[in-house]
Amino acid sequence: MSPLKCALLVGAGLAALAAGPALAQQKGGVVNVATVGEPPTLDPMVSTADLVGIITQHVLETLYTFDKNWKVTPLLAEKLPEISPDGKVYTIRLRTGVTFHDGSDMTAEDVVASLKRWTQVASRGKQTAGNIAAIEAVDPATVRITLVAPYAPLTALLAFNNSAAVILPAEKQDNPMKEPVGTGPYKLKERKPDQYIQLVRFDGYKSLPGEPDGYGGARKQYLDEIRFVPVPDANTRIEGALSGQYDYVDALPVEAFDRLKGQKATEPVLLKPFGWPVFVMNTKQGLTESRDVRLAVRSALNMEDMLAAAFGNKEFFALDAAMYPKSYVWSTDKGTEGAYNVGDPEKAAALLKKASYDGKPLRILTSRQYEFHYKMAQVAAEYLKAAGFKVDLQVVDWATLTQRRADPALWDIYITHSPFLPEPALIGMLSTSAPGWWDTPQRRAVVDAFNSEADPKKREALWGEVQRVIAADVPFIKIGDFNALSAKAPKLEGVVPAPWPYFWNASLKK
Amino acid sequence: MARYILQRFLGMLAVMFVVVTIVFVIVRVAPGDPAAVMLGPDATAQDVATLRARLGLDQPLVVQYVYFLGQLLQGDLGQSIFLDRPVTTALAERAEPTFFLTLFSILIASLIALPIGIYAAYRRGSLFDQAATTAAMLAASIPSFWLGLIFIQFFAVRFGLFPVSGYGGPDAGFLVRLQHLALPALALGVVSSALILRFTRASMLDVLGDDYVRTARSKGMGEFRVVMRHAFKNALIPILTVIGLTAALLVSGAVITETVFGLPGVGNLVVSAVLRRDYPVIQGALLVIAALYVLINFAIDMLYLVVDPRVRY
Amino acid sequence: MAASAPTAGNSERVRLLGLLLKRRTVVVGLVVLGLIAALAILAPLIAPYAPNKLSVVNRLKPPGGTWLFGTDEFGRDVFSRTIYAGRLSLLVGGAVVVMAAVLGVTLGLCAGFFRRLDTPIARIIDAMMAFPDILLAIALVAALGPSLVTVIVALGIVYAPRLARIVRASTLVIRELPYVEAARALGVSTPRIMTRHVLRNLVSPILVQGTFIFAYAMLAEAGLSFLGLGVSPEVPTWGTMIAAGRQYIGQADWMTLFPGVAIVLSVLSLQMVGDGLRDVLDPRLRKDL
Repeated sequence: MSPLKCALLVGAGLAALAAGPALAQQKGGVVNVATVGEPPTLDPMVSTADLVGIITQHVLETLYTFDKNWKVTPLLAEKLPEISPDGKVYTIRLRTGVTFHDGSDMTAEDVVASLKRWTQVASRGKQTAGNIAAIEAVDPATVRITLVAPYAPLTALLAFNNSAAVILPAEKQDNPMKEPVGTGPYKLKERKPDQYIQLVRFDGYKSLPGEPDGYGGARKQYLDEIRFVPVPDANTRIEGALSGQYDYVDALPVEAFDRLKGQKATEPVLLKPFGWPVFVMNTKQGLTESRDVRLAVRSALNMEDMLAAAFGNKEFFALDAAMYPKSYVWSTDKGTEGAYNVGDPEKAAALLKKASYDGKPLRILTSRQYEFHYKMAQVAAEYLKAAGFKVDLQVVDWATLTQRRADPALWDIYITHSPFLPEPALIGMLSTSAPGWWDTPQRRAVVDAFNSEADPKKREALWGEVQRVIAADVPFIKIGDFNALSAKAPKLEGVVPAPWPYFWNASLKK
Repeated sequence: MARYILQRFLGMLAVMFVVVTIVFVIVRVAPGDPAAVMLGPDATAQDVATLRARLGLDQPLVVQYVYFLGQLLQGDLGQSIFLDRPVTTALAERAEPTFFLTLFSILIASLIALPIGIYAAYRRGSLFDQAATTAAMLAASIPSFWLGLIFIQFFAVRFGLFPVSGYGGPDAGFLVRLQHLALPALALGVVSSALILRFTRASMLDVLGDDYVRTARSKGMGEFRVVMRHAFKNALIPILTVIGLTAALLVSGAVITETVFGLPGVGNLVVSAVLRRDYPVIQGALLVIAALYVLINFAIDMLYLVVDPRVRY
Repeated sequence: MAASAPTAGNSERVRLLGLLLKRRTVVVGLVVLGLIAALAILAPLIAPYAPNKLSVVNRLKPPGGTWLFGTDEFGRDVFSRTIYAGRLSLLVGGAVVVMAAVLGVTLGLCAGFFRRLDTPIARIIDAMMAFPDILLAIALVAALGPSLVTVIVALGIVYAPRLARIVRASTLVIRELPYVEAARALGVSTPRIMTRHVLRNLVSPILVQGTFIFAYAMLAEAGLSFLGLGVSPEVPTWGTMIAAGRQYIGQADWMTLFPGVAIVLSVLSLQMVGDGLRDVLDPRLRKDL
């Protein structure tokens, strides 16, 4: 080694040392992430499961994503779309120089093929398909989407990470997907079902410039590897966090918070607020077809007890009648008066009488995939019985639940939950084709108005109208707000609490 | 003798055939349409019908059964719905943890049971004997999953001596795997030591009263030598048999223990397959495990033929 | 078997009972079992709270004071639930024994008595025994759909071959005994011989095996429920209680501790009694593990 080279290296080393605090993130290392289970697929288009989104967002990217304020921001697109004045033509400029994991360049052809696949296989894509007149490439770096009618949620839909409009190479559009080849900062190395999914750094990744900004902005690849380990049992996940076996542990029961506090190997990460549990009603047939019965259900329920049984301490849940909590622009109290946490068996009984209820059992479909669903169901069953309902609580596994809920003859209420979605139009239950099949003239009027309005300020007011109609019609019952708990090792840095945790930008302290 | 072996062999084939039939019946009786499961909640009735036709599910049961037998003879157990690979591959991938779990559990159980059983027989009726017999009964009364939960809480969470669950990452060496196996093997070993202990004690009691043991004693041989050289050696064959049988029984215990400890073995595979309605996997796993048991039994019979000429045929 | 007289008189029964009660383990086992059964049967009188009474404000209270065994995540009284769960756990055990006995004895007698049926039945028994019991139970419950009844049916099917094998073997011996042959020569019908002479002699081995099957069935039910493949989770059995308490280990250990101890005590006392029965009734069965 020549003296000059040596001096340069020493100099560089000193400079690096001097810059120490600013460059604190170490490159390298492997993180073990404990997840709720084995994902059914690695194709985020065909699945709406959060788990699938969490894992695949590292591998497959969308045209847009969300920044830290939940505003849509470009990812594979160069900037937000140019929308024609009539709101029907979206022109999307793509970033250039982006390559897929297989080495090929991403072009408009890939984007058009992927978006078309999305309209065919993704549930959100299929809902949108009827409103899309054409998807075409204008030039190798420009794509144009033409709509039948203005549809404001489109960009948010293209930014979502489950039922996601991910961009795949044009020649790798098989359904079912053969291998997840995308443009993301990490690529799939090995998948051993029920053991791990191993992602490694993609050296050809082209990050956005600048600083990280939520899911948007720069995506830094400090970690060499990310391993997602399925740990279906919640208690095992807690124990895995306590013993330091996993660097990040997702979806813990919030009540484990105290056990994680003051530990050496782990620390709690609370995401507040995370989402809302919901009782979805079958408005198409059976008992809950009657609005009075739906009102009776809501009047019977004591949300506070349900939330307390499911989440324990008040630190972990909030009573909230509005569809969105205060921290969101969508928060409004329109229509919520007297429509929440009523817990009045007499009122419910009177409504039941009005509906001439004949003692037919109310079939509540729930699963134990999420323990809190089942707990809320049990408390709800007691309150419903007190109001005079006959209750048939059907506890099945999640896969069975998703099958049964598709058949209106099989259920009256099913229990699920959702994170607070950045765009209310993405709430599945607002769609007439989603299980529950809520379809009334009132719904149509307010939801259509909301979806076709482009002006953000006006949309806020229009959302208040949607909420008012939901409160009056009771197609589903929001139970409250709840927080999400995860745990991370103190040495893992740069992980931001998020509904779908991501590990680009994360690093391990030596 | 050749006739006896042939008879036993044909008998084994007949049992295999019944095993296969039982598995076929159980899986066909199961509710839920495999085609609907495969396609997921978004599928249309048309899609389901097409897939049913492709899978032959629209055929009469007898036709399906004959087809199933044909596939089986070619070593084809079908394709897993959830895991996106042939069932045989899925089973092969999970064989290692189950094999080692069984092996180490048996080792631990024997290490606990043999010395205690021998000594208890030697001091028949003593306080030690009573305590050992009661302890064995206690061990057999503990649900293995409950013991597993307690072990995890103490050894893994409180003292951090062992990992809580799993089988190590992609690059884990054998030592790491061993660490992951330690607690489940201990839990399973303790629970299954009971049977071996009681059997060892009983077999030793049988031989300790025999003439040659008395003769050895009267010749002034040391007690330890009498017990180990003469008595234990003669009690060994029945004891080894019961250890072998325990190994077969362990597969049962392993189903639950693997689930508690998140070991990706065959038992865990079956439980998740049931929860995921992955019928081909349930079917394949049941078949392979039962077939192994039948084969092992046949092998033991044949071994007896070699070892013990008194076996009549 | 040959030793026991065809008609055991009253004095013989008293003698056996005396032998049985001389054993300390049997007495302890019987007392514990009796206590558990009494608690379970008298649950409505003893339980301070209804087993499903929710009281969310009082959730996860430690044992002592108002709640002897503490409360669970819904504020339900763990003591009340434990003794109510005992009813179902014991019911499952008992029902499985009855089911297994009916199936096993029928199969075993048919195999033992009708030569033509012997080989096919023996093959079926062998094939059933080739499946590890929990695994077969899991598969059967998966096929029949999980519920209290299907768990009983599944476990009954799983344990029936054990009894069938013993019954078959004994029947093969008994049918050759002089007094049975004599009865046949006198023209007594086969079903009558089976019930009169053979079943009477099978009482002891069935009783002994039944005790153990009772114990195994309780363990198996707990295992199935723990895996979420057994009795519906809102039905309190010791297994479902442990499964529910798992999430609160380290936070509310009493939720898993008490039902676990209840299982261990019941299974242990059943085994103690079964062991004593085996030694007293038929020393030769000792090796038939």
